[in-house]
Order: sequence, then structure tokens, then C-alpha cells
Amino acid sequence: MIRRPLRPLARILEARAKGESPDAIERENIRLRHEQMRDKLRQRAEIRLMVLGFGFICAFAVVGARMADLAASDPEEPRVRASGASILAQRADIVDRHGRVLATNMETHSLYAHPQDMIDPARAARELARIFPDLEEAELLEDFTGARKFLWIKRQLSPEQKQAVHDIGEPGLLFGPREMRLYPNGAIAAHVLGGAGFGREGVHAAEVVGRAGVEKTFDERLRDPARGGEPLALSLDLTVQAAAERVLEGAMRIFNAKGAAAVLMDVHTGEIVSLVSLPDFDPNSRPAPPTEGEPGDSPLFNRAVQGVYELGSTFKIFTAAQALELGVANEETVIDTSGPMRIGGFAIREFRGKNYGEQTVEGIVVHSSNRGTARLALEIGAENQRAFLERLGLTEPVPLEMPEAKGGRPLLPERWGDVATVTVSYGHGISVTPLHLAAAYATIANGGRKVVPTLLRQRAPQPEAQAMSPEVAAQALGMLRRVVTEGTASMAEVRGYKVAGKTGTADKPRRTGGYYEDKVIATFASVFPADDPAYALVVALDEPVETSGDEPRRSAGWTAVPVAAELIRRAAPLLGLRPEIEPAPLEGVTLTAN
Amino acid sequence: MSYLEYTVKTVPAGPRKLLFLNWPLAVTLIAVAGIGAVMLYSVAGGDFSRWAEPQLVRFTAGFGLMLIVAMVPIWFWRNMSVLAYTISLALLVAVEFVGVTGMGAQRWIDLGVMRLQPSELMKITLVMLLAAYYDWLPVAKASRPLWVLVPVLIVLLPTALVLIQPDLGTALLLLIAGGLVMFIAGVHWAYFAGVLAAGAALVATVFQSRGTDWQLLKDYQFRRIDTFLDPATDPLGAGYHITQSKIALGSGGWTGRGLMQGTQTRLNFLPEKHTDFIFTTLAEELGFVGGVTLLFLYALILAFCVISALQHRDRFAQILVFGVAVTFFLFFAVNMSMVMGLAPVVGVPLPLVSYGGSAMLVLMLGFGLVQSAHVHRPR
Repeated sequence: MIRRPLRPLARILEARAKGESPDAIERENIRLRHEQMRDKLRQRAEIRLMVLGFGFICAFAVVGARMADLAASDPEEPRVRASGASILAQRADIVDRHGRVLATNMETHSLYAHPQDMIDPARAARELARIFPDLEEAELLEDFTGARKFLWIKRQLSPEQKQAVHDIGEPGLLFGPREMRLYPNGAIAAHVLGGAGFGREGVHAAEVVGRAGVEKTFDERLRDPARGGEPLALSLDLTVQAAAERVLEGAMRIFNAKGAAAVLMDVHTGEIVSLVSLPDFDPNSRPAPPTEGEPGDSPLFNRAVQGVYELGSTFKIFTAAQALELGVANEETVIDTSGPMRIGGFAIREFRGKNYGEQTVEGIVVHSSNRGTARLALEIGAENQRAFLERLGLTEPVPLEMPEAKGGRPLLPERWGDVATVTVSYGHGISVTPLHLAAAYATIANGGRKVVPTLLRQRAPQPEAQAMSPEVAAQALGMLRRVVTEGTASMAEVRGYKVAGKTGTADKPRRTGGYYEDKVIATFASVFPADDPAYALVVALDEPVETSGDEPRRSAGWTAVPVAAELIRRAAPLLGLRPEIEPAPLEGVTLTAN
Repeated sequence: MSYLEYTVKTVPAGPRKLLFLNWPLAVTLIAVAGIGAVMLYSVAGGDFSRWAEPQLVRFTAGFGLMLIVAMVPIWFWRNMSVLAYTISLALLVAVEFVGVTGMGAQRWIDLGVMRLQPSELMKITLVMLLAAYYDWLPVAKASRPLWVLVPVLIVLLPTALVLIQPDLGTALLLLIAGGLVMFIAGVHWAYFAGVLAAGAALVATVFQSRGTDWQLLKDYQFRRIDTFLDPATDPLGAGYHITQSKIALGSGGWTGRGLMQGTQTRLNFLPEKHTDFIFTTLAEELGFVGGVTLLFLYALILAFCVISALQHRDRFAQILVFGVAVTFFLFFAVNMSMVMGLAPVVGVPLPLVSYGGSAMLVLMLGFGLVQSAHVHRPR
């Protein structure tokens, strides 16, 4: 508040001149000011009250208007609390690319008790202990006679168990509906589906939430009531998936492998037709994550999507393709692959100390020459190499529709110098997932267009950038085909389906540094049919060993390749590919005119 | 002007005080309680002894309490306000340790005769202390930051205690009532504008955060908000109460189905049909006319309080009467909005109509203070 001087001298003098008392004037002034102040305060208080009163009136008006609105609305018939399918089937089904059910819901019941409503708690406890051997009669009786008003007994009952409990005839035992996620195919596609569990639980319903895999990624979409239970169509093919899992299971037994993974994808659309990782689990009762041991050995670990491995010689085709793309070499260029060769203090050796002499680019790939690849890589250079791998999507996690895919982040060399460039060129010092490799091979197979793998059914190829020219892609494809017809993957020949591919045998790294000599990851990355590639397939075996010969054989040519061949043999007909069988030579048949 | 400044002689004394009661207010209160008893009788399916009888006994006791409070001079109550607030606060703290948990969250203290909810008591004592504070504080200082901070603490302390019980509804009521009392007392409007803006910004931020990495609420909490905004998406889950009560209001129409003819309530569609959701029964059985009548009676009660306050020249009494009126208003405004789907479901009873003791006694205590102020006003 601004204080004006109370007693201006001029006014005092003026008053004295008139003979008035300045004190009386002063008192009068103060009184007037106080009155003014009080009026102001009063005015303010009144404004406040008016605002508040206006608020009251508004509230009354809103409530009254709402009441009138509701009263005027059409009276709806009261509905009984609906029971059965309409509440329960809330989570949408998951189906494969042909509409076959991969995950659906089943109505089961939970069992709970209201002890205060019980007629004969002792009998109820005895009967329940008989029906459910895992329940203790004494504990139940204690619960039923204690102070608790409510207790859960079982989360899920089978129909037989429900009938048995019903037959006890105890009114204090009650059932609540409980929707349950059911995977009718058991462990098939377990890693893709993931699994579901209960979220919030109530007596009359329980929330089903996705715990892993596509169930988790699409959790919101699956239970979005607006979609009305429209099934989620995956790109998987149930029959191919089942065949692939059987083949890989057999392979694990024959080769005594610790694990196996396979990725089969459409090279044009990026749709994953089959994705296998063994060992697996039953999503109907998803195990708890292990608390000890190597997480990578747990059945919950998805080797195809989460596991990053050095995939070895399968990378050589990328080096060869890039060399052609950059013009470092052409089809006729001859490269000296003879040793010795030292880069940064490391000797580059060939498999089993072989020497392939002078080779063309194709020869290097077909014979899987480390030194030849290294020479090409040195010409390409670190920067170019890195950029090319990036274009193929090998440097970032694959954006697959699974939460696990984020875990599959490639391990790249920390310093990308000459040594790294050379090792990366033949697939060492860089770790990617089998899924990454399949996508990169699909790029070679479809004429050089980058492919982003997806688990959802697609209608058309994705519009992605060209990672290499179609000509180079065609040349690379030819080389891969020659690897099968004349090189290290001869066992991959499947009659009628021209398989093209490249093997890779990489020693497993020790945790303590260096590499194991007797533990490998054997990989075969392939595309088929080579004339008009439709699918890319990567098979990887973890620590396989083939013991039919004199000494144990671990190389991919002896392990992963025959497994991949068997898989293609079974899966190709299921995928609708027609075998192209060359007519037998017409020996002994004489063509005659009339 | 304070009580020290006028002579007490002008105030009636002895039994004569009864004549100077605010009788229109008292009669309206009786009318509302009567409607409540009739509805409880109807909800119980024509059983008088189940809910209606104990409720009437309680109202009679409450009415007696109101008269007793009204006979005591208002300046006594002003002197008591610090003590009353302190006791309520102590009870709120005590309830944390010795309270009885009932209905999941709300907590009570067992007094033997009745079970008391300290958070209800706090609604009145908070208003009392704030009124006494602004009576004591020179008006010119009311908007200084330091003198604003004190009442803010007075409000926030019990609010926090109630919030951890947890009882979000009551905590919000305390906060809003405290804020409105400060508003009436003449605190500068900029403070309120600031708080409102901050609140709006907070709400906006929370919604912005949805679906991002720094999401501030859990998914299920967002889903609850969604359900409030559109109950039809989850008619059998969280939206159940609201949907059913809307159906009840709709089927009541203009004149209602008649007493004891309501299907929604009769067939047990509605939970809490005799407590928080009793208005749905009323709207279904007595229709729009019945609902508006009740609304009108509530408006009358508020109007009598406001008129009484405006006639008063004492600051304490003025603020106190307004504070009680605001508390009363918040009770039924929140309850009705909730029932009609204008606000989320929080546990607030319909004052004087819903079945329940604590809220009724506390409200009658509040109206006792209003009457005391009315009787002892300088003439």
C-alpha cells in the first residue's frame, strides 16, 4: 500500500491560518482512510463470494443438466452381468500365415473358499486333499477354521477336478472363471510366441498378459477390445516350423550339439517362415528364468535372435561381393592366395594349412580361402567394409517384433584397423545373430535389396534400399551355387532344388580370451532355389561333432550342411516349390519317325 | 470487526437462543434426512429396521449434537479451533498405528460406542482452524508469501496423512476445501492461478508421457483414466459401477418407477447401493423430479448458509460458515458427479442420505457451528 505523508506542512499551516485544529483534521483523515480500506476489503470479499457462488450455480447447472440428459435418454433394459465367452475371450488368437491356430484361449476355473460359509470344513479339507494330492489336509483345515474370510485354493482346475470339487457339495467352495492362454501345438514355435501369464487377478476374472515373444510385443493389440478379437496373423508356417524343429532336434542328437538354431525367411518380403532355437520350452508352462548357470544355455534363450556368434566363413561372400561392387576385382582378376601372410603381427593361415595358389574371386569363395579374402579386404579398406556391412543391416540389432531381438546387438571390433578388417572379412572379430545372417543372404538372393525380417504376414515386398547392384548380387549368387556344386558344401545338394550357400566353421571364443580348439559354431547359410531364389535359410549348430569317421569332424560341411539339406528336402514341398528334375539322358531310347 | 469490539449484550442468552436458531436451515436438513430414510427403507426392500431405523437414530443424535453446539457461543469455538485441529491431527497419526482396517482402505478408530473416522473430523476442524487463522491475521498480510505458507502447511499436513491411508477421495476434498477457504479469505488470486496452471501442466505432462520412455503413470493407471473417459470400453470391469448407474438413471425417466420398483437396485446390479450409490436408486425410483427436488434442497441449505454468512460482520464466523458450506457442497457435488459419470469413482457419500455414521455426525457438527454463528451474531 502506498503511504502518502499524513501531515503535509502546507495543510497544517493552512488549517492554523483558518483557526482549525490540525489534530482534528488528522483524525478525520485517518478515519476516512480506514473506511476506504474496509470498503475495499469488503468489495474484494464480495467479489470472491460472487465467484464462488457462480461456481456453485455452475455445478448445480451441470449436475441438473446431466440428470435431465440421462432422464431423457432411452431406458435401457437392465442387463444381467454377462457370463461366458463374451467377457472371457478378450485376448485375440495368434494364427500362422495360413490361419492355423498358434495361441488361443481356454476357459478354466479357479477355486476359492469362503470359510465362513462352510458347513463341514473338516470334510471339505479331507476331500480337497484327496482330489489335489499337493494340498495338505491339516493346512487346509487350519485355513478353513481360522479368521480368514477368503482364500485361494487353486488358480486353475481341469474340468474333471472341477466336477470332483463340485461333488463335495460344500457351499463355501466357489469357482471363478479364469481365462487361460493355450498353445495347442505345445513347444512348436515356443520362442516366437513367448508365453503369457496372469497380471492382476480378481475373483471373477484375471488379466492375461504377454510375458515374452510376440505375446509381449503385441500385448496391447491382442487385448484391444476395439479390434474385437481379430486374430494376429504371423508369417510363420506351422507345418514348416514343425518340420524344421524335428530336423534340428535330430541333428542335435546325432551331432551331440548343445544347441541349434535355424531361420528360414522369404527373401522378397522378409517374412520369417520358420524360426527355431533349441533347446526350447513349452509356452503353456513357461519356466522361470534360471538364476544360475550360463544364461545363454537356458531353454529360454533364443539362439536365433538373441545369440550373437562369430559366424566365420559365411561372411566371405560379403567381402567378395563388395570387391566386385567397388571394382577392386572383377570376375577375371587373379589373386595370389599363397602364404605366408602377416598382418599386424598375425599370421593369416588357411584351413588345415592348405595353399590354394592363384585364384579368381569365385575360387576364393568356393575354396573358402582366408588369405584371398584378406587380400580383397585390404583393398576394400575398413571404412568401406563397415559401410557395406551397415547397409546389409549387420551392425544394428534386427528390429524384429520380439522383445528379445533387442538383445541381439552385434559385437563389432572396437578398433576397426587393418587387422580387424581382415578378420571381419572372413567372419571373425564380428558377432551377429543367425537372423542377421539370414537377412543378409536374402539380400544377395533377391537382387541386392536390403531386407528387414518380420514376423507378421506381409502382402507385398518391403520398399528397402539397394545394398548392392543386381549384377553383383547375381554374380555372388552364382558363386554360392558353385560352393555347393564344387566346394565345401557338396552335401547341400538336394535333388530338384538348386541350393546355393556358404559354410562357416568358427572356433568358439573362450571367456578368458583366445579360442577353444574343439568347440565350434558350425553354420550353413543358404538360399534356394538358385535359379530364382525364394527363401534364405541359415542353420547353426552349437558345438556339433560328427563321429562316424576315424577322427571327430566338426566342420560345417560335415554337420550344418547335411542338416540344412534335410531341412530343405522336407520344407521345400511344404512351401509349394516344385522340384525341377532334369530329364534323364535319353540313352537306349530310339526316336523313330513313324 | 472482531468480537472484542462489540458488546455481547446484543446476543440472546439462555433457552431464548433456541428462538434465534436458523430454523429454515434446520427444517431443510430434516427434510433431506427424511428423503434419505425413505430411500434406505426402499433400498432394503421395505425393511425399516435394516438401514432406515439406525440412520434415523443417528440423525436424531446428530441433530441433538447440532443444537448443543449451537448453544455454545461461537467465540468459544474459535478459541477451541487450534485444540480441535491438533486433536484431529493426533487422531490421524494414531490411526496409522491403532486403526482398524475396514473396506480395504479406510481406517477407523474404535471408540467403543462408535467407530470414528478421523479424516471426516478433520474436514470440519481444518475449516475451523483456517477461519481462526484468517480472523487473527491482519487482512493486509493475507497475501504475503510467508503468511500464505502457514495455511498451506495447515492444509497439506492432514492431506498427506489421509493420502497415505490411502484415501485419495478424502485427501482431494480436504485439499479443495482448504483452497476454497483461502480463496474466500482473500488471498491474492495469483496464487490460485499459479496452482491451477501448475496442476494443468502436471496433468498435461502426465498425458504427454504416455507411451514414451519416461511414462509417469503405470499402464493400468492410464487404463483407469480411459475407463472413466469412456466406460463403454470396459463395461464389466472398472466401468461397471458407472455404466449400471447410468442405466438406472436412464430407466428412471422423468417421474421414476415408484418406490421399491427400481430394478437395477432390486436385482443387485449395483454395489454400494445403500451408501455411495444411493442416488442411483433415488433417480430410478423417483425419476428426474425426485433428483431435482433433492438438488433443490441442497441448494437451499447452501443458500441459507450463504445468507447467514453475509449477515455476519465477524470474520471468523463468516469464513467458518462458508467453509462448512463448501465442505457440504463438495460432498454432494463429487458424489453426484461420480454417480452420473462426470467424475471418476471415489468413495464419497451423498450427505445426509447415504447410510453411514461418521460423515453424518461430522456434517451435523459443522451445521452446529453454522447455527452457533447464526445465534451469536451481533445485531
